[in-house]
Amino acid sequence: MLPADSSRRLVAELQGALDACAEQEQQLDQSLRVCRRLLGTWKPAGVPEPEPSHEDPSPGAPSPQDLKELELLTQALEKAVRVRKSPSKTAERAKVPNQKPRTKAPTAPAPPQAPGRTSSHTSVTRPTRSSHQPKVLTTGHQEHRLRPAQERATLGTGARATKPSLGDPQVTSAAPRGPEVFTLKEKGSLLRLPLAFQKTVSQNSRLWAQLTSTQASDTEEAAARARFLQKMQAASGRAAPGLSMAQVEAEVGTLRRACWLLRLHMNNETAAAPADWVQEYRRVLTLEGLQTMAGQCLRRLQELRQAVAGQQLDPWPLGKPPQACPCRGGADANWKPQLLLYSSTRELQSLVAHQLHTTMLAQQLHLQKVLMAELLPLVRGTPSPSRLALCRAVHSLLCDGGQHFPVALRDEPAD
Amino acid sequence: MGRRRRRLERQAGAGAEALPEAIAALSRTLPTRPNPETFRRAKFDLPEAAPALWRLLFHVLLREDDGTAVPYPEAQVRLVKSALRAHGYPRPALTQLPEDGSQGSRELLLALSWLLAGGSLLGRLLTRTHVLTGDQMPMCECEDLAHATACLDLPAPCKDTSNGLDMRYVQWLMGKLRFRWLNLICGHQEQCALLSKIHQYTQGCHSNQSLGHLSAAETELLRDPEAGQQLLWRLERENGRLEAALEWRRLEPIFWQWMDTVLGACPQCPSDTGPQPTFQAAISDRGHEELELVTRELQALWQELQLAAEARRTAWEAQVQIQGLELSTPQVLVSEAMVERQLATLRQAWEQWGALPHGPHRLVRPPARETRAWSMAGPKLLLEHSMEALPGP
Repeated sequence: MLPADSSRRLVAELQGALDACAEQEQQLDQSLRVCRRLLGTWKPAGVPEPEPSHEDPSPGAPSPQDLKELELLTQALEKAVRVRKSPSKTAERAKVPNQKPRTKAPTAPAPPQAPGRTSSHTSVTRPTRSSHQPKVLTTGHQEHRLRPAQERATLGTGARATKPSLGDPQVTSAAPRGPEVFTLKEKGSLLRLPLAFQKTVSQNSRLWAQLTSTQASDTEEAAARARFLQKMQAASGRAAPGLSMAQVEAEVGTLRRACWLLRLHMNNETAAAPADWVQEYRRVLTLEGLQTMAGQCLRRLQELRQAVAGQQLDPWPLGKPPQACPCRGGADANWKPQLLLYSSTRELQSLVAHQLHTTMLAQQLHLQKVLMAELLPLVRGTPSPSRLALCRAVHSLLCDGGQHFPVALRDEPAD
Repeated sequence: MGRRRRRLERQAGAGAEALPEAIAALSRTLPTRPNPETFRRAKFDLPEAAPALWRLLFHVLLREDDGTAVPYPEAQVRLVKSALRAHGYPRPALTQLPEDGSQGSRELLLALSWLLAGGSLLGRLLTRTHVLTGDQMPMCECEDLAHATACLDLPAPCKDTSNGLDMRYVQWLMGKLRFRWLNLICGHQEQCALLSKIHQYTQGCHSNQSLGHLSAAETELLRDPEAGQQLLWRLERENGRLEAALEWRRLEPIFWQWMDTVLGACPQCPSDTGPQPTFQAAISDRGHEELELVTRELQALWQELQLAAEARRTAWEAQVQIQGLELSTPQVLVSEAMVERQLATLRQAWEQWGALPHGPHRLVRPPARETRAWSMAGPKLLLEHSMEALPGP
C-alpha cells in the first residue's frame, strides 16, 4: 500500500494522461465516422439509407421510384426555403431540374414547380443560395453530372479534366433507370465546391494576408503602444518588476529544448568513430563548445531561479501556461497556408505512427519520472514483509519499459 | 453615447468622431463581443461594466477553445487576477478588487489595453479560432504537448486515496494507458488510409490548383449541406472578425489617445506599499518543479560533456605527441571557425524554435505524375524531408 499523499499525485497524473487519451479517441472516432460515411454510398438526407445493392432494382417499378424521387425533391426544396438567397444561381437551379427526365417544369427564373407537387413548394419563391447546389447533388442523382458542366461554364475552369461530353448522353442513358447510388469512388472526381464557399474561403485567405502584412508594417502604432506601456508602468508606482512568470516559463522551455539538442549533439559526437586527427580535433572543439554552452544555460537557469525566489512570483494558474507553445499562435499571427505533400498511404501512415509513438514515449518518460520520484523512496525504506510485493510492483512498472512482470520466489535454504 | 458616425473614412488623429468606430471594431474582434458601451462605462468606473470585462479577460487569457468549461464568476475573477499577475501586470490595484466581480471596470479596461499593447493579442486570438477547411496534420515537435497531465489543484480525483493506494491500481492504470495508446495508433492508421482514399477519389475537383483535391471537410460539406451551411457560417463569422481587426488597426492610434485620458482619470497609485499579498498554496508549484527538473538535467549533461571533452582531448593530445603531428595555424583557424559556425546554428535552433514549420499543415496528395513538379514551387513540405527531421522512435 502506498501512502496517501504520493498516491494522490500518481493517480492524478495517470488519470490526466488517460483523460487526454480519451479526448483524442473521441475526436478520432468522430472523424473516422465522417470519413467512413463519405466513402460509403451517399444517401439522400432525410431518407433512410437504401440497401447498398450493386445492381439497380428492376426497372419495372417506376411508380414507387417516382414517388421516392418526388419526396426527395420535396425535401430538397423545403430545405431551400431555409437557406439564404443567391441570385447568381437562379438560372442554374432552374436549368438543372429542367433536364430531369420526369419533370416537365418550365424554365422559369423562379425555382420550377414540377407537376403534381404538393403545395408546400409554392412557397418557394425566393431563389436559392448557391450552397444549395450540393443538396441538388444528393437528391437528384442524375443531376450531379450536369453541375460540373455548368460550373465549368461559370467558373471558367476549362483546364480541369472533366469530360466535356457530360451533358445529355449520360442523362438520357440514365433516364430510364432508377436513381443511382452515389459513391465517392466512382464519381468523386465530378464533384465541385459551391461557389459561395469558394468565395468565402478566398476572402478569408485574402483578409489573413492583409492582416499579416499590416502587422509587419505598423511602426506608428507600435510607438503609440510602447508609450502607453511606459505610462502604465510609471503610473503603477512600482519599480520595473523584471521578469514575469510567463517569461520565466518561456525561457525554461527554451532551455529544456537547448538541453535536448545539446544532448543529441553530444551523442552524435561521442558515438562517431575516431577519424583522422583533424576531424578528431574538430570533435574535441565541438565537445568543449557544447560544454561551454551547457554552462551558459546553467548560469541562465540560476539567474531565473534567483529571480523567481526573490520576487515571489506566482505560478501560473491551472498549472500550465496556455501559450507556451508557439504553434498555438504564440509569437504573432504569422499565419501562412502550409501544405504537407505525401505520395502514398504508407508514407502518411508511417508519419502519423512516428508522431504518435514519439508523443507516447515522451509521456511515458514523464510518467516514469513521476513514478521514480514517488516510489523509489518507499523501496529504499526499511525491509518489511510487504516490501517484497512493493519491489516486484516497482520492477514491473519501471524496469524493462514496464513490459515484464517478474515472479518472486522465496528460496528456502536447503536443510 | 450613441453618437452617429459622420464620416466613414477618417484619418487617424481626427478625434472623437472616429473613436466609436474604433471601439466598435475592437469589440467585434474580441471573442465575447462586448458591447461598445461597456468600454465607455468603464472609463468612468461604472460597476455595470465590470462583469462583462471580467468575462472578456477570462476568455482572452485562459480559455483556449470553446469546449472547455467556464467556471462560475468568482472563480473566473480569481483566475484572471492570477493570470494577469503571472503575465507581469504592473498595477497593484487589480489585486485589491473584490472577488465578486462587481467593481473595477476602469482597472479592467486598463488591463485589457495593457494586453493589447503587447502587440500580438488579437493575432493570437484570431489564430486560435481559425476555421480550417483542410485535413490538418500537426507538425509540432514541442515536448510541451506530451505533458498533457492533470493539474493538481482540481477537485479530488475519482479514486479515493485518503487511505493509501494499492499498487495494483497503479499497475492497472499504466496498462490501461498503454492499451489506449495502441488503440489510438490503430485508429489513426485507419484514418490515414481513409483520408488517402478520399484524396485520391476527388482528384481534380478543387478550384484551387495548388491543392488539387478535396479534403474530408469539404467533401462532407458536399454530402451534407447542413454541415456545409455550418462551415460556411463559421467562415463568414471569421471573415467578419478579420475585417473588424483590419479596421481596428487603421483606427488604433485614436484608441491609444483615448486610453491616455483613461489612465489620467485614474487616481494616482500610492507608491509601493510593501510586499504584495501572495496567493495561497492552492495553486500548484509546477513551474518551480519544471525549473528544478531542467536544472538537474542540464547539470547532468554538463558533467557528461566535461568528462567526454576531457577524455577526447587527452586522447587527441596523446595521439599528436606519439605521431609527432603538428597542426598548422591555418588548419587550427579553419577548424575553429567551422565549429563556431556549427554551434551558432545549434544555438539558433533552440532560440528560434518558432521559425520551424509549426502548426497544422494541410495534407495534400499530388497526382502521381506531378510529384516532382509540385515539390519545386511554393512553401510546401515534402513528407520525406519532414521524416528526416523527426527523431525516430
